[in-house]
Parts: sequence; C-alpha cells; structure tokens
Amino acid sequence: MSYFLLLAVNGLVVGLIYALVASGLTLVFSVLKVVNFGHGSLYMLGGYASYYLISGLGLPPLLGVVGAMVTLFVFGVVFERLVIAPMYTDKVERKDEYAIIVTFGLTILITNLALVVFGPFAKSPPSFMTGALIAGPLILPYDRLIAAVAAVVLLVGLSLFLKRTALGQALDAVSQSRESAAVIGIDPKRMYTVAFGLGSALAGGAGALIAPVFALSPSMGDLPAVQAFIIIVLGGMGSVGGSVAGGVLLGLVQALGVGYLPDPNRALAYTQAFGALLLVITLLVRPTGLFGRPHLRLE
Amino acid sequence: MEHSIRNHLGALALFALAAVPLASAPALAEDPIQLGWVGPLSPPGNYSGGQEMQWAVQLGVDEINKAGGLLGRQLEVTYEDTKGQPAEGSAAAVRLITKNNVSAIFGEFHSSVALAEIEEAHKYGVAWMGTDVWADDITAKQYPEVFRVSPANSLVYVKAADWTVEQGFKNIAIIAENTDFGQGGAKIIADELQAKNVAHTLATIDLNQQDFTPALLRLMNQSPRPDAIQMVVAGQAQYQLVKQACQLGLAPTAETKLIGSSGLLQKEVWEVDGACAKNLLIVNVAQPKSQWNDKAKAFVAAFTERYKRAPTGVALEAYDTLGVVAEAIRKAGSADRAAIVRALEEIKYEGANATYSFPTTKEPAWAFHQFMDVPFTIIQYTEENQGPEEAAIVYPKNWATTDKILP
Repeated sequence: MSYFLLLAVNGLVVGLIYALVASGLTLVFSVLKVVNFGHGSLYMLGGYASYYLISGLGLPPLLGVVGAMVTLFVFGVVFERLVIAPMYTDKVERKDEYAIIVTFGLTILITNLALVVFGPFAKSPPSFMTGALIAGPLILPYDRLIAAVAAVVLLVGLSLFLKRTALGQALDAVSQSRESAAVIGIDPKRMYTVAFGLGSALAGGAGALIAPVFALSPSMGDLPAVQAFIIIVLGGMGSVGGSVAGGVLLGLVQALGVGYLPDPNRALAYTQAFGALLLVITLLVRPTGLFGRPHLRLE
Repeated sequence: MEHSIRNHLGALALFALAAVPLASAPALAEDPIQLGWVGPLSPPGNYSGGQEMQWAVQLGVDEINKAGGLLGRQLEVTYEDTKGQPAEGSAAAVRLITKNNVSAIFGEFHSSVALAEIEEAHKYGVAWMGTDVWADDITAKQYPEVFRVSPANSLVYVKAADWTVEQGFKNIAIIAENTDFGQGGAKIIADELQAKNVAHTLATIDLNQQDFTPALLRLMNQSPRPDAIQMVVAGQAQYQLVKQACQLGLAPTAETKLIGSSGLLQKEVWEVDGACAKNLLIVNVAQPKSQWNDKAKAFVAAFTERYKRAPTGVALEAYDTLGVVAEAIRKAGSADRAAIVRALEEIKYEGANATYSFPTTKEPAWAFHQFMDVPFTIIQYTEENQGPEEAAIVYPKNWATTDKILP
C-alpha cells in the first residue's frame, strides 16, 4: 500500500505540473483556434527567465516564478501582436497553415537561440526549499511539493478568473463565437492577445516551477509540449477543467504503469506508451475527450 | 609565312594551355586539407558533450595551422551537427564526403548515430574515426575505414563490473539508456555479473524522460534494495537521475552507491545536483592528473584559457582524435582517402590522453581498429564543487589514491 501511495503521490505532483502547461495550451486553442506548437519553448523560456531573475536580481525563488510569468505574458503579447495577428487580416490566405508554420518556427527559433544565448550546459535555479517531506512511507521532496501547491493555486486562480471576471467571461464568449462576442461589444482581437499572453504566462510559470525540480536546458520543453497535447485531447479540447483532470490522470497512469508493469527493465522506457494508450482508450470511449463537447467552448 | 605564324601562334597557345595547370599547381598545393567533424550540437542530441568536443577540435586545428599546417597546407574542418539522430548522421556523412570532399571524418558522441555514419564512410572508402562512441558494434563490423579512439563497451564495462564485484556489492541495479550504447553496455555488465553469480536488475530509460522517480521508487521497493546502481547513461540525463535518487534517499548513500559516467564530469553537476553529487562514483575515460604528459598539460591550460572551463575526458578524446587523423595524413604524405586509411593501421601517435595505435586483430570482433589501451579510472567526488582531477581515484589499483570508497 505504501508503495502504491508513493507512486500515486508522485504521479499526482507531476500531473499537476502537466496540467498547468496544458491549461495554457487549451486556453490559446479555445480562444484563437490556434494549436500553439511553440508552447514547449515558452515553458523553457519561463524556466530560464526565473533562473536569471533569481540569480541576476536576487529575487526569492517563488518571486522568480511570478517574474517569469510576467515576462512570458509580455513575450506572448508581443509575439501575438507581431506574428499571430496578421492571421486575422486578409493578408494571410491560408490561416491554419500559417498558424502551424509560425508556431513551429517559434519552437525552432527559440530553441536554437537558447542554445546560443543560454549555452548548451545545464543550469538550475536554487531550490524552493531543500529536503523532503517524510511522513510515514511518504517521501516527497519539498521542491515538488511546492511546485504542486503553486500549480494548484494557479489553476484555481485561472478557473476563478475565467468564471468570475468580466475579462474571463469575455474570453469565454470569444471562444464560443467571435462574431456573437463582437456584436455585444467584445473586441475579439484584444481577447486573442490576452489569451495568448495568459497561455504563455501559464507555460512560463510551469517551466519556472519545474526548474528546481529537474534542470534547465534548451530542449527541456520538448517532452512537456508533447504531454500537453496528449492532455488537452484527453481532457477535451478547450476545457481547462479537462486539462486538470487529463494532467492528473496522465501523471497517475504513467507513475503507476512504471511502478507495476511486470517487466522492470522496460517499465520506465514505456512511460510515453502508457500516455498514448490512455489517450487511445479515452478517445474510443469518449471521442470528444473526458470533458469536451462537440461544440467547442472555453470552460 | 602566314601559315608559319599561325603555326607558331598555335604552338604558343598550346604551351600556354599546358602551362595553366603548372602555373596553378602551387595554388592547389596551398588549398586547405578538408576534414569533416560529426557530433551533436543541438537537441535531441547531447549537445553539451558535442560542444566540448567541437571546442577541443577547433583548438587543435588552430594549433596545427599556427604551426604551419599539414604537408604545407592549412587544415579546414567542416562541423556537421548530427543532433543525436542516425538519419542526420548519415546525411551529414554523405554531405561531407560528396560536397565538402573531405579526406576523413571524425567525431561523434552517440553510438546509434555513429552506426549510421560508418555505413556511408564504408561505402565511399573514407576513413572514419570515432571520438566518444562506445557500442561494440561500431568496430565489430570490421569495416576497413572505421577506427575508434574511445573505448568499446566491452573494454570498460567488463572491468567496471569486475570492480563492483571486488567491492563486495551483492545486488546491483543497472540503469541504461535505450540506445546502442546503453543497451550494449548494460548487457555486458549483466553478463559479467551473471558469470560471477551476482544478483542484478536492469532498468531501461528513455533519454527524453525527465522524471525517473517511479523507476527509482521501484528500485527502492525492491527486496533486498540494490547496494550499487550503475548508470549506463551518457550526458546530462544523469543529472536528473542523481538528483531524484538523492532526494528520495536512495543513492548515493551508505547503503547504495551510485556509479555514473562522463556526463557527470562537467562542473554543472554541482549546480544541478548540489550536495547530492558528493560521493558519486564516476567512470572517467582519462588519465589521472598525476599521469598527464606535457601535451595534456598544455591542452588543459589552453582549453581552460580559451573557453573558461576545464576540459573533461571527452574533450581530451576529441583533441586526440584530430591529432590521430592529422598524424595519419602526415604519415601518408597526402590527403588521399585510401592512403589515410592505410596510414591509420600503421600509426603510433602520442596524444594528450594516451599513445594510440589501431590493431587489425579480428578476435574479439570489436577489437578490430579499436584503440585498446584506453586509460580509464573510477573516481569519487569526496567534496562539494570538486573537479574530476581532484577527486579520489578508487580504480585501478596502480593509480588509486585511496583503497576505500566513501559511504
């Protein structure tokens, strides 16, 4: 039982971080109808932003996370205005292809720039708190615990923002129908900018939270980006709640799969396969994902 | 008369045409000798290792050119980023051979990529010299063009496994990456432990993975818990393993030792793993500092001066790989591809890390063109922020600075 608990808690913690990354991706998708293939590089930039804010300005680690989110929000807004915005005009004919190309381009550009600017060698910001929580059979490093708690706070905050604020409801309205939203006086273009900025900030926050747990490298965003795509399909595209459920479920399935697969040699190597299997089964049973609806809306 | 003048003019034109190659001969002789380097410089390859290798090679190229070049010609190296991907390695080798017209190819960090590159080198008859690629299969194919400076898995991991047995470890976990290097190395260790009746467990990891905690929890939950964990993992993925094993209280501890490889020699291990890196054991393919020759001392000083960081054993191997190829060109007296291949078989070259030669023995298969006297030590960090050259040497006995490993 204690072994199960150890695996489950670890899976839950990692799943919450996945959920945070995925919620940013789903926010951008539901409002802009753009699949941001550059989401992983924003996660990576968030990690480096917190590193330099902590080491350069001497900010405490948790303030470094906040600083990274603000930095990435600004980056997202600027990127959306300069690169994504032309998609809303007649200048761009094949809008879907344009979005794919520019967000893919973002990944390639930022990863390669990161190699030059940050260097090829790993970096790590200081721990949020050294040591581990040991309670009976449970061992949980404080860095993971704090990252998970911060992820929960951010996800709850996002949910409240979307439901309880005028701006959040405006984002929801645009996600349902940009034409109808425009009729009631909401500027869809402004909402696109806000959504992309928020999505970038969430990715950056996740990268900053995970930086002391793992380490920083220019390619650190590759795997979380893949996980995020699995999660948003699993949870139902456009559903923030679905992203949370999908992230936690994916984390749990991967941890327990590795822990209990009869062949210990291959167990860890199959981590991604457990995620893929979960996705296939879910889509067979519920083609719109766990919380998705045939008609896309931000929830 | 007119006819005669025309004849004379014709003859002059012929002489002029014939003289063109003669006149341009000195210019051709001054064309740089072209060599091709392959290795990972961007994801998903181990670009930190690749970067160190590239820096070491460029340092060597600059030294050779400053000293007058090779055979009176400057040396020019084209660097190909193979990204840790076999398809990229294969395409890079073809580009170097057909477009850059290189005389030889050298480098590479990933065995799986090397295995793709050597197929092209063999097809075109171009010498290929591996820098830090350990899979036995690379030289076991016994291609005449393929040579290796770095150890084969069999050369190091049999001895490393024997050492763990000598230390009295009774239950050893092997964590290996899912590549030719990792799986090959793990099999060699497992076979050796099996032959000596030592219990062992295998765990394969995906290098793209960042969270190894579930697998480490599995090892922790194993009964009896492993008393040593041998990582057959290249590069920075080990940082995560060390950190996560340490945070769980699994290793390195008095009960469970943790043994890694060259990626842990970079100073960043202290930034990422902090105190967790203390007491780590590391297989290090390099001479201990006490054995450094003048070339090694000069290289370490020059590398540190230029790049503001100390080189690891991988950089020494990269520097020596260039040195070996350059020496073969000198010995061959030309940059002709076939002549270089022949010269490499006869070479004896004193580099910074060792004195290199490449036997043609065919048993065991991997020994063909494999440099056999690879210097390797097992070191242990005994203090935080220690450099590998200051770490305690626990193997081999003749270089050991201590006879016991720290808990």
